[in-house]
Amino acid sequence: MNAALNIPYRMGAALLLIADQTGGIAIMAGQVVRRLVPPRIDRYELFRNAYRMGVQSVPIIAATAGFTGALMVIQGAPIVERYNARNIIGWSAMFTTFRELGPLLIALMFNGRVGANNTAELGTMVVTEQIDGLRALAIDPITYLVVPRYLSIAIMMTALVIIGDFVAILGAMGMAWGILDVWPRQFYYSAMPMLQTWDFSVGVIKGFFYGNMIALTSCYFGLSTRGGAPGVGRSVNASVVAAASGVFIVDYLSTFILH
Amino acid sequence: MTEAAAQTLDAATDEPPLPKRSALTDMLGELADLWRVTLDTLFYTFNHKREKGAVITQCYAIGNRSLFFMVVTMGFIGAIVVYQIGIQTARIIPDMSLVGATYVKLLIRDLAASVGAMPLATRVGAGIAAEIGSMVVTEQTDALRMSAADPVDYLVVPRFLASVLMGTSILLIGGAVAYFAGMLICNLSFDVNPYVYMNFSMVTSGDCILGFIKCLVYGGTIALVSSQRGLRTFGGSEGVGRATTEAVVGSLFAIITLNLIMSTIGNFLLPA
Repeated sequence: MNAALNIPYRMGAALLLIADQTGGIAIMAGQVVRRLVPPRIDRYELFRNAYRMGVQSVPIIAATAGFTGALMVIQGAPIVERYNARNIIGWSAMFTTFRELGPLLIALMFNGRVGANNTAELGTMVVTEQIDGLRALAIDPITYLVVPRYLSIAIMMTALVIIGDFVAILGAMGMAWGILDVWPRQFYYSAMPMLQTWDFSVGVIKGFFYGNMIALTSCYFGLSTRGGAPGVGRSVNASVVAAASGVFIVDYLSTFILH
Repeated sequence: MTEAAAQTLDAATDEPPLPKRSALTDMLGELADLWRVTLDTLFYTFNHKREKGAVITQCYAIGNRSLFFMVVTMGFIGAIVVYQIGIQTARIIPDMSLVGATYVKLLIRDLAASVGAMPLATRVGAGIAAEIGSMVVTEQTDALRMSAADPVDYLVVPRFLASVLMGTSILLIGGAVAYFAGMLICNLSFDVNPYVYMNFSMVTSGDCILGFIKCLVYGGTIALVSSQRGLRTFGGSEGVGRATTEAVVGSLFAIITLNLIMSTIGNFLLPA
């Protein structure tokens, strides 16, 4: 009897939890925007975070993007070989990578590396009462901690998508050379006339949106950590999952808006 | 702690105990460790009696509790991919009748497994690493060793088996969801009739075999990489956060690398 009664109860509880978290993230977005109107940014924190989150993520992001470009060539190879349309492979691989898969995989990787770390850091500060310490010193935690992190995640995510797109071209060129005998020069001159600037811009704009999503979600889950050290682990877990779902939802909406 | 002791501790932590290691040797060490955990897991999988019900518990935690998340995610992915294929096709030929056939081939051969494995790794990997990591920092794994139970046997093997089994099932379900989400978008955005969309003429047995192998491999990889990160946790609750991060990044990276390797080999052995 309990099992049957439990299902609506659990569905309702899950929905309320999601509504609670979405609302919390929206409120945090409002607070961040409010503090950006006359910009008061802690420059040292901003640069420190941008270096830690952005510059140190470049190797893994570059590897991800290079593999993604190469994969798109492998997936396109059978069709290209069947119709003997070698001069289309550059365009078809780059189109998908720029618009969709590049930013998406980079965002997932960035979420795992930076978003989770950010939540863990803020969560540890909460459970060791460092946030309360800041408040006692009349320092606003949002201005001091969240705004620099938000800005550096959003800006660095955009920059990493641009770097990743470049590496993806190299990966795709190498793979096309290796398995399809398409020379890099041929690859380049076949892809460039058909690619539009907009295809590239869509990916970069998407990257910015994903960055916003990851930044706000990870900061929200970090600051709402409860329950000591195990609570930090729980909120890291919840943050990574929530940011990943957020990225997919943003992806869905932005694909249809920016087509 | 006396002041002298504190100073000794400071001095000890200021200077790294080992000579400075490079990122490369670190990575090779991690890979060797991962290889050892993999061999141990495979050994105990075939050579030991397991605790009753452990695999089922893990199946529930890994499979059933990720189902909702994966269904939603794969629905969105399916819709997005079909839309991209549609606008890509529209730039070359205005004929939309082959979108469904191309999409289902791509989905079976690669996307259902590889793209689906990413959200799965995010969720399952973070969970496994956080769980095993907290056990390590609270010294529960040391207690297991004291009782002559190898943590790999007791903790990793059930997760590995559950992840292979449930990961594969969830990726297959996710693929089906992505296919039907694509059908909806194809109908709404490009006016493709579902009968035209449901065209399996381009799917070969090689595609199915490759896709299925990918599902199995990713399920196992996620569990192994995350368990290894969890078992190597150090440094209290911060360490658990770090281990979770590394588990997610490591599993995602392993999936992308293995995908590249398997796709390249599959391109020659199981041609489309």
